[in-house]
Amino acid sequence: MPAASNPLTQTGEPITWNFKLLAQNDLGGFGGMGEGMAVQIAKDGRRIIWLAHESAPKNFTGVDVSDPRHPKVVVQTALPQAHMRSNSLEMTGDILAVAYQTQKTGQQPAGLELFDVSVPEKPRSISFFDCSGATSRGVHQLWFCDGEYVHMASGAPDFKPSNPLDDQFYRCIDVRNPAKPVEVGRWWMPGTSATDNVAPPPRHPLDKGYRAHNTNVYPDRPDRLYLCYIDGGMFVMDIKDKANPKPISHWTNSPPYTGFMHTAVPLFDRNLMLVTDESTENSAKDWPKLIWVLDMRDETHPISIATCPLPPVDAYANRGGRFGAHNIHENTPGPTAWKSDQIVLGTFFNGGLRAYDISNPYQPKEVAAFVPPAPKGSPVGAIQLNDVYVDERQIVYTMDRFSGGLYTLEMDF
Amino acid sequence: MNELFPSPAAGMFGRRLKREQGHRIPVTVITGFLGAGKTTLLRRFLGTPEGKGTAVVVNEFGATGIDDVLVRSSADETVLLGNGCLCCIARSDLQLALRRLVVERERGELPDFKRIVIETSGLADPSPILQTFATDRALGELFHVEAVVTVVDAETGGDTLGWSSEARKQVILADRLVVTKTDIAGEGAAAALAAQLRALNPGAEILEAVNAALDPSRLTEPANDQRNAFVAEATHSDGIGSFVLTESTPMPWPAFAKAMDTLMALRGPDLLRVKGFLDVAGCNGPVVVQFVQHLAHPPVELTAWPDGNRQSRVVFITRKISERQVRDLFAAVRALV
Repeated sequence: MPAASNPLTQTGEPITWNFKLLAQNDLGGFGGMGEGMAVQIAKDGRRIIWLAHESAPKNFTGVDVSDPRHPKVVVQTALPQAHMRSNSLEMTGDILAVAYQTQKTGQQPAGLELFDVSVPEKPRSISFFDCSGATSRGVHQLWFCDGEYVHMASGAPDFKPSNPLDDQFYRCIDVRNPAKPVEVGRWWMPGTSATDNVAPPPRHPLDKGYRAHNTNVYPDRPDRLYLCYIDGGMFVMDIKDKANPKPISHWTNSPPYTGFMHTAVPLFDRNLMLVTDESTENSAKDWPKLIWVLDMRDETHPISIATCPLPPVDAYANRGGRFGAHNIHENTPGPTAWKSDQIVLGTFFNGGLRAYDISNPYQPKEVAAFVPPAPKGSPVGAIQLNDVYVDERQIVYTMDRFSGGLYTLEMDF
Repeated sequence: MNELFPSPAAGMFGRRLKREQGHRIPVTVITGFLGAGKTTLLRRFLGTPEGKGTAVVVNEFGATGIDDVLVRSSADETVLLGNGCLCCIARSDLQLALRRLVVERERGELPDFKRIVIETSGLADPSPILQTFATDRALGELFHVEAVVTVVDAETGGDTLGWSSEARKQVILADRLVVTKTDIAGEGAAAALAAQLRALNPGAEILEAVNAALDPSRLTEPANDQRNAFVAEATHSDGIGSFVLTESTPMPWPAFAKAMDTLMALRGPDLLRVKGFLDVAGCNGPVVVQFVQHLAHPPVELTAWPDGNRQSRVVFITRKISERQVRDLFAAVRALV
């Protein structure tokens, strides 16, 4: 039903509180953006942000944000197949890693592609690592921050899940020779492989699958992987021996919550961790989807101590599309990302972009919000902010899932 | 907390802030005696680009008709006159109005606003309003009083100051004084009034607004920077005086807190307003401290000293408490802590 004719549809006044909007760019009309954002300083000094698209036909877009008030698209690439999506990307230096996922198992191409973007206008493919298979949809998400290993949530031709929805698991790919990526390790949640002699985990009511999502590894602890496993919760993994990842601890909120755990960001200096859920249902049917704060003083025993407060669900649920947590700024390693263990920035679909002060981690406080009007061409009649990245200049980049493209902002608090 | 979840980026007063208000919504309080020209001044301000996104709370019945902006009369709330304390009723009224503004904005029911201007009733002593922000934890978390602006009419202001203690209080507590109707009053009267105002409040910036024309920044800029030029010890008939306590060595926080506790306990009602920057031992940035009578605002640590001058300077506006007495108290406490 179109948003306008739905009697339940609400609208709300836009909010720009303690943010300053610098610019919006709909990326040439292809402003439906996914959850991959990475900033490169090109050889000629230009600052390029690389953005993943939510779905076909576009693959990735490079935008010159040297002047964040005037972002300029420098390149936009296309996917070879309409059944593909490249929802995630990450980069080290001039090498961009892109995740390819297909709509159905068995489709191709599905996998990981590395590009040389040393000339941003002309991305050049270095290699393709095939992850397609009869029971695989390829790669949903990847992490590539040390120039050596890609950590990713992927299916594989030789992996048969016990349930078809559980096809993506953790894989570690050695790309030290970027022309020849080689898998060096993998781990899946016990019971999710058809070959396991452990009973498969019980299904959740929304049944989004027991599969890997974010696979974050930081230079502060190169022997640790912070893995979120959609319906399975968060795992702290020991990856000292990459060939043999071992779980150290596990934390989940579901049930009674509704699954889809998404991202885990450790705040090493503070013994804290942020864990996000993703809202995947329209009209907040999976409410509440939250950013959780965990006490990680003992990494073997994570304890949830707070969540970041959201505005009233009844004021947002029926504005169109989703309302709830999704991505947060991940303190991505590397010189072009802001590092913060005091302020958390997260996207909440129609709840916009919100910033929280966690100086007292027991009482996160909302300190800024950006809820722009529905972008032109939005099929749901509301903003759907999907991902956020903050560069080392403290310029905030956020993007819309359907049509709004890229928004650049300053923090003003 | 710092031991459980340490962070080099957070000092003893939490995360350091770029500016004192932090994330809080800035509030400007406009006071002034009846007919001084508060509403005219406010209307002009709302018409300027700087005035865009201002929510106005009129703490007085019947003040309507400001176009194109949101006007809330906190007097619209039904007030139960029962406990006999008018000051408390006005405060709870204001508290409700301010909370409702925030809630309705959060729900998307109100246009976005950047700042709030509270226009007080002409008869009001502004200190209860300032106290509200210090005592109501929920409000103090959401709002920050940036400046108290008092409007004084050049024609009748001098007389009013003579007979009204409320009018004097309005002048004494102001960060900025705006003198109106100077064109009507003539130069002599304006100069006499300026001298009167200077005697009452030597620290405040005195501005003239002919036909309500005033640089809009004078209503929006935080008042901190105004406070460096205080003249030491100025007293007048009410026994109200002001002075600046300066200190070149870092102050241990327990010493400052204990001294202020003692002052508040013994002479709270006479401690009209205390505000300033403190160089606290162990803190990088200046710590903004603020007190209204017996109430303390939470201290805030800033990222940097505004003018690079790392010297503690705290302004005291007191009734019958001398600079010497306060200095001696601080010295005695510092020696003991």
